[in-house]
Formats: sequence, C-alpha cells, structure tokens
Amino acid sequence: MKIIILGAGQVGASVAESLVSEENDITMVDSDAERLAALQDRLDLRVVTGNAAYPSVLKSAGAEDADLVIAVTQSDQTNLVACKIAQSMFNVPTRVARLRSRDFLEDERLLSPDNFAVDFAICPEQIITDYVVRLIQFPEALQVLDFAGGRVSLVAVRAYEGGLLVSKPIKEMKEHLPLGMEARVAAIYRRDQPIIPTGDTHIQPGDEVFVLAAAEHIRPVLRELRRMMNPVQRIMIAGGGNIGLRVAATLEARYEVKIIEHTRTRADYIASKLKDALVLSGDATDEELLEQENIAEMDLFLALTNDDEDNIMAASLAKRMGCKRVVALINRRAYADMVQGGPIDIGISPAHVSIGTLLAHVRRGDVAAVHSLRRGAAEALELVAHGDAGSSKVVGKRIADIPWPKGVTVAALVRDFDFVESVHVRDDGTVDRRSGRVEIAHGDSVIQSGDHVVVFCVQKKLVRKVEQLFQVGFHFF
Amino acid sequence: MNLIAQLLPESHVLLGLEAGSKKRVFEQAGQLFETSCGISQTLVFDSLFAREKLGSTGLGQGIAIPHGRIKGLKQATGAFIRLAEAIAFDAPDGRPVAQLFVLLVPEQATEEHLQILSELATRFADRQFREKLATAPDAATVRQLFSA
Repeated sequence: MKIIILGAGQVGASVAESLVSEENDITMVDSDAERLAALQDRLDLRVVTGNAAYPSVLKSAGAEDADLVIAVTQSDQTNLVACKIAQSMFNVPTRVARLRSRDFLEDERLLSPDNFAVDFAICPEQIITDYVVRLIQFPEALQVLDFAGGRVSLVAVRAYEGGLLVSKPIKEMKEHLPLGMEARVAAIYRRDQPIIPTGDTHIQPGDEVFVLAAAEHIRPVLRELRRMMNPVQRIMIAGGGNIGLRVAATLEARYEVKIIEHTRTRADYIASKLKDALVLSGDATDEELLEQENIAEMDLFLALTNDDEDNIMAASLAKRMGCKRVVALINRRAYADMVQGGPIDIGISPAHVSIGTLLAHVRRGDVAAVHSLRRGAAEALELVAHGDAGSSKVVGKRIADIPWPKGVTVAALVRDFDFVESVHVRDDGTVDRRSGRVEIAHGDSVIQSGDHVVVFCVQKKLVRKVEQLFQVGFHFF
Repeated sequence: MNLIAQLLPESHVLLGLEAGSKKRVFEQAGQLFETSCGISQTLVFDSLFAREKLGSTGLGQGIAIPHGRIKGLKQATGAFIRLAEAIAFDAPDGRPVAQLFVLLVPEQATEEHLQILSELATRFADRQFREKLATAPDAATVRQLFSA
C-alpha cells in the first residue's frame, strides 16, 4: 500500500515504525528536514520536506498514486486542508486526520466529502480520556479495550494472590463464573515473555493477563485474577493542558477532582472552564503541595503534563506518599518500559494508544478495530469474515481446523452484529442497546460470513498472516 | 460469441497504458467506463477499491482481475488493460501486475458472473494465452484472443 504520512511527530513516527516493515511504501512529509533525516536513519521510508498543506508538496510526496493519507501534523488546520487537497486534487481514496480540537468534531458535516473530506478523525485527547475513564470504571485493570462497538472488552490485568484463578489451571474458570458467563484468556505475559495459554496453563501472581469477555461480564471475570479494589472517588490530576482539562471536565461531575497546574494564567483559565473540580496553582512534583492536598487519601493520581520527566517524578512521588494508584503519560518508550510496574502502576503512551484507530485502515481485509498493545509488540484485531466456504479460508470452518499461526488466539465472535439483539436498562436508568451475540471462541465454533472475529497476536509480525487468512479469494464478488 | 468477448468491445482495450499505481489504473478504468457506458467514474473507482481491500484480485503471474458490483448497472461489462510498466498489486505470488481485466457487474451478482470470473481465470492460467496477450499489437487482436 502507498501511504503518505504528514507530520513526523510522535504519532507520525510511531505509525511509520509500525507500518514500515509491512510491504508498504511510505512517504513522510514534515517541514523540519532534520527531524526527517533522523527518522530516515532508522526507518526505510521516503521523505519530503515542506508544508503538508501545499498541493506541490503533496504532489511530490506521490499523492497521485497514494492509497492513503494520514494527516498527523501538529496543526489541525494543516491536517484538514491536506485532507481536502488530497481528495479534490489527487483523488486519494482514504484520508485520516488527527484533530486535537473537538470544535472540528462537533458537527459531522464539517468533515464530510463536500467539506474537509476527512474519512476518519482521531482525537488523541478523547482517546486518552476514554482510556482513563475505563481505568476508573475498572480500578483493577491496566487497560480496557473495546471491540465490536463496546460489545466485547479485552482487559489487561496483573494477576495477584487472592484472585480465584491464580495458581490454578485456566480451565477451572468456568467453575467459578456464574452460569452462562464465559471468558477467554487471550494471552499471558510472564516477566515480559508471552505464554500461549491452554486450559492447563496455571496463571501465576505477577503475570500480565489479557482476558476477553462480553462487556457486561468483565467485573466477575476480573475477580478471577485479583481481589477487587474499592471504587474510585478521589482523583488528583497533574497538568492542566488540553488532556488534563478534558479529563477533568469529563470526571468532575461524578468524582472529587483536584487538578494542579503550574502556570498561573493557565490555572485561572481552566478554573473558568471547570464547574466542580478544584484547580490548584502549583508544582505537582512539590512534596509539600501533595502533602497539603492529602495525596495519601487519593484513589488515583493522573500525571498528564506534556513533560515525561515531570509525569514520572510526580507520579512516583504520589505513589510513595501513599496514593493508591498512579498513572503517567509517557511519550518516550524507553521511559515507559523502565517505570511501568515499578514506581508507576500504569504508563500511557499517547502515540501508541492513538495509532490503533489508524492501523485499522491500513490492515488488509475488512478490519473493524485494531489495538496496538505492549507498546507495539503485540496487536489485537477485530476482523469481519466475508465470503463462503469457497472464497474464504475461514468461513464455514471450525476454528480448530483453521491453520492459525502459532501465537495467535481467537478469543471471541460477535454474530449478527448489524442487528440490535437486546435492550437492557442500566442501574442508572440509561438504556444499553446490545447488538449482536457474543460467543467466546471454542475449537468447534464455526465462523460465519459477517462474524466479527476478535483475534490476539502475541507478536506484530503474526498480523500479516491473520490478514491473509481473512482475505477473500479473487473470485469473491 | 463467448461470454468474455461479449463484455469487451474494442474500445475497452487499453494497451501500453501509463499508470504507475493501482490507484491510477482504477482512475483510468473509471474514466473509460464513464465515457463509454455512462457509469460514474467515482462509483467504479470506489467499488474496485472496496473490493480490493477485502483481498487482492491479483491471480499471480502478473495478472489481476479487479471487479466490483455497480448499482444501477444493467449488464456486466469489462475492460482489458495492459500497462507500460507493471505495478505492485499485493498478488499472492508477490509479483507486480502488468495485465488487468476489469469486470463490472450489476449489484445483484448471479451465477453467470461467477462463471465469467472462472472463465477468465482459466484462460489466464494458460501461459501461451498470457504471452500472446502480452505481445498483441492492437485491440482487435486482443479481442480476437478472448473470442477464441
């Protein structure tokens, strides 16, 4: 596939890195020649220096031949203009843009083909906010990922002594779970090495376990792996930038939120934007300030400034001073590897959580969702099966009879996804419409055309083979 | 007249087309069908691309049969394109593609359309046939080859 990436920042570089080895022809555009040169030193790609919103620059980047444009420059405006030009002048079939400001997302007409022509917009602030919200709903989890429009959840969780299943074979799980409830352990990482789980695998304390179940079954499933924590009530946020502000605004109505911002004027600004959250002007790495604001009473500390070192320091400090759980935004991978599971409970890499949405458009076949996991080393995909027994390698076959490469686990199927299956009323009175039927995958489950299949690949290089299995033969209409 | 020749008027044969990518070939194909059959170029382009996304229509040996269903199309139609230079097509054997038979069918695909595809695949499986197509001097010769 011929792909043009506009913007060689964190997200652009992560996307390029993730795609460059996969038989793709990638051109990277940025106005900073030095940054491009540094990237070209380690990745095999073509570079063009210039303003990504100029037709001449897009042309020399090969827009006339491109299958996909990914606009992830620092500027929303540049990204919008580039998508419009890619569509109207160069007829590029698929255009994806990062848009930081939610203003552009408020009215969907703005991104329609007649206007800015953005097929898919990603908003990292929103993605990180959603990530944090899920961590609050499931305090036991390291990460909660959605498939099939939220119908199925994949949860990463560290196993602890006290979980019902810990130190027991996985096949015993169904004995603890209520009747009709099922889950699949999709992968286990023990001291960072993947273990392919079978029914006889014993989960050990300290293992990082990826487990998948229907969204409404996640809570009892977590109990298998560790004792439950008290619901989150008090949250402290370090950093009142775009992300910090958005997270605070999302949480303030339901939780006690304090937010620390070091710039006085910015603190005044966010105070005017927030209704219930308490805004503090100060330094989040200041022990006295944390002490004064009762850090030990906090259920969750979120370090969301744009500085890795500050985030790591503030979160480590908060943890040491007694905060129950600390989360830090960490851009540099080396840092993230170093601190997660050590002084910091969860390190979120903004580039990595954002690229899943992009990867779904680059994957071959009908791929509905992609989550890049373990900082790009592993991937979970939701693929839609098409065709029939003649034109597809998976449709009409039992899962056990399909030649999955080693390291791939088929975790679940969502059948009849396009039909609303049932309507439930939640505890808070809102209505939960569940579409499709979730089936935890077994060896004798038969894949049907239209099924959404959730697959876990312990190594990224296995993704290509899974894509190939799901591709229809040439005689499929 | 056989199934394939019926789909392929001489005006639908493009030899030595200069198009450096899959995208440009589909654009050119769209233009051809728009001019000669009045099907919207965008419709053809989108349909071919959407199908390709589900799995390459490359057969191997430098051949591809991109195809799509077109809303409002009354009967199947085709075009044969021979490229000046082979292009990447994600074919099963990894080889670039230089000869394409583009097939458009009405939205309701029937048994007949599958037959056309199999017929095309069978013909392209024949090495001599491919070689003759690769060297055919003009549209009339190409059409004759498909009529035989």
